[in-house]
Amino acid sequence: MNRRNFLAAASAYTLPVMLNGFELKAMTGQSALVQSLLASGAVQDSLVSDRVLVIVYLNGGNDGLNTVIPVDQYATYQGLRSNIALPQNTLLTLDGTSTMAFHPSMTGMRDLYNSGRLTVLNSVSYPNPDQSHFRSTDIWMTAADANVNLTTGWSGRYLEDRYPGYPVGYPNTQMEDPLAIQIGYLTSTALLGSQQSMGIAINDPQSFYELVGAGGDVSPSDVPGGDAGSLITFIRRQQALAVGYAGEIKIAFDAGKNLATYAADSVHNYLSDQLKIVARLIHGGLKTKIFFVSMGGFDTHSGQILYDDPRIGPHADLLGKLSAALWSFQEDLRLQGTQDRVVGMTFSDFGRRANSNASQGTDHGVAAPQFMFGTAMKHRTIGQNANLSDLIVSYGNNKDIKMQIDFRRIYADVLNDWFGAGRPKTNSLLLNNFPTLSIFSDVCETVASGAWTDPATWTVGRVPTPTENIRVNAGHVVTLAQNTIVRSVKLYGKIAYSPGVSLRVTG
Amino acid sequence: MPFLDPYTAVLDTRAAAHLLRRATFGPTQAEITQFTGLTASQAVNNLISNAVATPPPPVEMDETAPNPGQTFLDKPFNGDRNFQFGMFIKYWWMGLMTQQNTPPSLLDKLTLFWQNHFVTTRETVDDYRFVDRYLRLLRTNALGNFRTFVTAITKDPAMLRYLNGNENEALNPNENYGRELQELFTCGAFDLTGAKNYTEDDVKTAARVLTGWKYTNFWTVGSTSFATTFDPTKHDTANKTFSAKHNNTVITGRTGATAGDLELDDLVTMLLNHPQTAKFICRKLYRWYVNPNVTTDIETNVIVPLATFFASAGNNWAIQPVVVKLLNSQIFFDESNRGAIVKSPAELLIGSVRFFNQPVPTIATDYVAFRKLFEFVHYRMQNLQMNTLDQPTVFGFEPYFQTGYTKNWMNTTTVALRNDFTDALIWRWYEVKPGYNLGIDLLAWATSLQPDFANIKSTTNPTGTDPISCEQVLDAFLINLFTTDLFQSQKNFLIDTIMMQLIPRTSWTFEWNAYRANPTDSYRRNVPTWRLQNLMRYMLRMAEYHVF
Repeated sequence: MNRRNFLAAASAYTLPVMLNGFELKAMTGQSALVQSLLASGAVQDSLVSDRVLVIVYLNGGNDGLNTVIPVDQYATYQGLRSNIALPQNTLLTLDGTSTMAFHPSMTGMRDLYNSGRLTVLNSVSYPNPDQSHFRSTDIWMTAADANVNLTTGWSGRYLEDRYPGYPVGYPNTQMEDPLAIQIGYLTSTALLGSQQSMGIAINDPQSFYELVGAGGDVSPSDVPGGDAGSLITFIRRQQALAVGYAGEIKIAFDAGKNLATYAADSVHNYLSDQLKIVARLIHGGLKTKIFFVSMGGFDTHSGQILYDDPRIGPHADLLGKLSAALWSFQEDLRLQGTQDRVVGMTFSDFGRRANSNASQGTDHGVAAPQFMFGTAMKHRTIGQNANLSDLIVSYGNNKDIKMQIDFRRIYADVLNDWFGAGRPKTNSLLLNNFPTLSIFSDVCETVASGAWTDPATWTVGRVPTPTENIRVNAGHVVTLAQNTIVRSVKLYGKIAYSPGVSLRVTG
Repeated sequence: MPFLDPYTAVLDTRAAAHLLRRATFGPTQAEITQFTGLTASQAVNNLISNAVATPPPPVEMDETAPNPGQTFLDKPFNGDRNFQFGMFIKYWWMGLMTQQNTPPSLLDKLTLFWQNHFVTTRETVDDYRFVDRYLRLLRTNALGNFRTFVTAITKDPAMLRYLNGNENEALNPNENYGRELQELFTCGAFDLTGAKNYTEDDVKTAARVLTGWKYTNFWTVGSTSFATTFDPTKHDTANKTFSAKHNNTVITGRTGATAGDLELDDLVTMLLNHPQTAKFICRKLYRWYVNPNVTTDIETNVIVPLATFFASAGNNWAIQPVVVKLLNSQIFFDESNRGAIVKSPAELLIGSVRFFNQPVPTIATDYVAFRKLFEFVHYRMQNLQMNTLDQPTVFGFEPYFQTGYTKNWMNTTTVALRNDFTDALIWRWYEVKPGYNLGIDLLAWATSLQPDFANIKSTTNPTGTDPISCEQVLDAFLINLFTTDLFQSQKNFLIDTIMMQLIPRTSWTFEWNAYRANPTDSYRRNVPTWRLQNLMRYMLRMAEYHVF
């Protein structure tokens, strides 16, 4: 039975489940909701096309400075954290850069970087950074300004906008699969819509189906009043969703295959275990747009290394697992032939302090590198190395890394370019107009007038390389003070040349 | 609307059940009966005076180890058994929550509140003796004085380990505890306008006040004691100046052996003087006991006056009077707050074990059965995201702080796993010990409802007794099972669709009388058993069973 036929057959199970409990008007092709979706062109837009986002949450606040090491400032790095600094000769070098290197346990991510499947985004944070785990994670997940509390998640808002009314009337023939899946037992704030999570949590597709089964008779929909009644309604909806999605997920899980090798069970790489499920569901044809996975343990206040050897210990283990998991996942997608329709991104509560503490650990900090993985990104590096001579100095001579990239610019590119939501929609979902980072564009654009050599002039947060295309946007003036090479130029604004200086275009 | 005014009516069955559901992990039918007819004040006093402050200690539960049934806490530290002993401490505590042979007390539910407030975890603390001392500290202070409590927990070896207080030294402060002490334990991160209650510098300054505390003999195999110590040479002796958020308080730097205690006293005083601290604690207690949804109205009329009382000179941070006031209040008993919380895994699993009278084996003599019961409960609670004594983060279990609050206990996965647990009570496949399978003997229950069991009314025996009806069975099963009343349409559905599978209700009477006539015949027993199992299995899966 193929998936279409299954859906027709399965509706015999799912329809009564949905009908008895709740409003059913959205369930039929004639319904206002389905009609409006068809009329709005939602069927043709990228949401119902096959692009997928995988969000990897590194719980606790990853120590970015021992993840991506600015080797051009090695002595300063060593001075800031001599008790945990990685020896320079142990670092993993990267193709095309001599200024940046990876932690020695990140061989998988090094290989992804070198093969153009991993992008480093430097010094990601937000204005007025908060160093509470809870608050900062909330800011990341809701995409709020630091002084604003939002109760919906950034990706939850996106899904709610495209699937209004969820979960009433879902699953349906326009979207038979969960909008978002979190592998685990809880759903994260990032997936919260205005009323409830837009995603569902599953731990293991096989046992999930066995426990939920195909559903059964559903009690009359009478509900008592008050808070008790709204909780009862909420729980009934969770039960109905479980039944509604269990079959679809199992079919995709059974149809999908993992073609790469993942970490053995004995290694306890839970991120790898989660991504293995995600890859299998994607290969099996599940249309879910967003997958959310996570790994914990990054709150390394003390003892992040072992036996005074910075190459080993808890932080090295964490990065090793992250790296191995991303490598296996990306290889799996490549072998499956699904790699071009999946991108992933990491995020963490915050970076850690640039200077280490006396416990061979690091306290809560500000900016840190994040990663994107997949084949769709057009640049291997966004932003430049953190400047370790220009740190935020606070009380007690503590030093934090300054922000280069507001994380909401990453979200903006994901929503606008990857999911095709369009600029007006993207801005309204993120409550602001965040300039592109050109993550998915091979053109480095200007974001403002300024010197060519000023990283802030360019969307990519650094000076374009000779192999990149550039565009000077309308109204911008870029001053060029030295001979420079680029691949191509699109000029909507102006380049102001110093006398005798030329710009060579290689084409 | 009256809020904190005392609830003066005599407790009816529903009110008694409400109080017991919220103040304990769930009542037995007998306990509800005992509390019906008391005043709220009498009932709450009983829940306090019934508390057993020093229960018998946890014991060795591995029958193949030396001295099973005896405590391991009076013996030298045994590293080989560290994990297992830690688990036995968990089972022991769950046993206290579950036991039904002592009168009901509010102590363990309140201890869990504090354990989820001042979080440390067995996994990170990683020394079973530290875990035991921490848990006893929580028990003995649960109803005590908040000032004493905060001071004691700050120096507790488990806490020093969990939030790196032992690594916090002059010139190289570790900020972990200094932050959480403010954000999570006392004033909270924000006030209601969204303004920060302290600055980042206050975190660093608090850490400096707390420099120098250590513990001894962590994981020292063979050691027979351990203690908190203070090392004056690791203490930052300079003055510590806090921000305007803490009223620009200056804590005078001290030297010598008493410096740590003196500065800690000053720090706790400063934190208790913060205008948000009492409200932060009272709001959390309200969410725990009454309703996670704190409206502006509740903030003004419950949280603020309760907090004022908590911090008043007359009360001086005593916890017990605050808990008593809240549980005695009209707002606590208000209809609108009944059923307003989703059951946590503890309230679902331990509550079910208690409600259906599943006995807790005696820990000292029946330790294997005791262990088996709580292995079953523990690992299921862990899958349902409530790993006792092992919260995922220092914030505690997510449903007690995250948007949506206790709704977070329910999602598609936990729905499935909750079903799996309640089904186990129906199918009775888990053996605690020979002769005791976990679960409900539904046929025996229904049989107990049948008067004059053997004297069956029939045309040949017109003076016999009628069979109990489907409606009688359902009504009996429903007594105190749900917080809210079912609608008649739901009851009809349960009888006709679930129990009788759409055949006439009269079929039940024939089937039941056939069983009465031949009660040892397995076929005659199986037919009503199957119907009762369908009925109860469905009822325990209903949303109504998962709120309280």
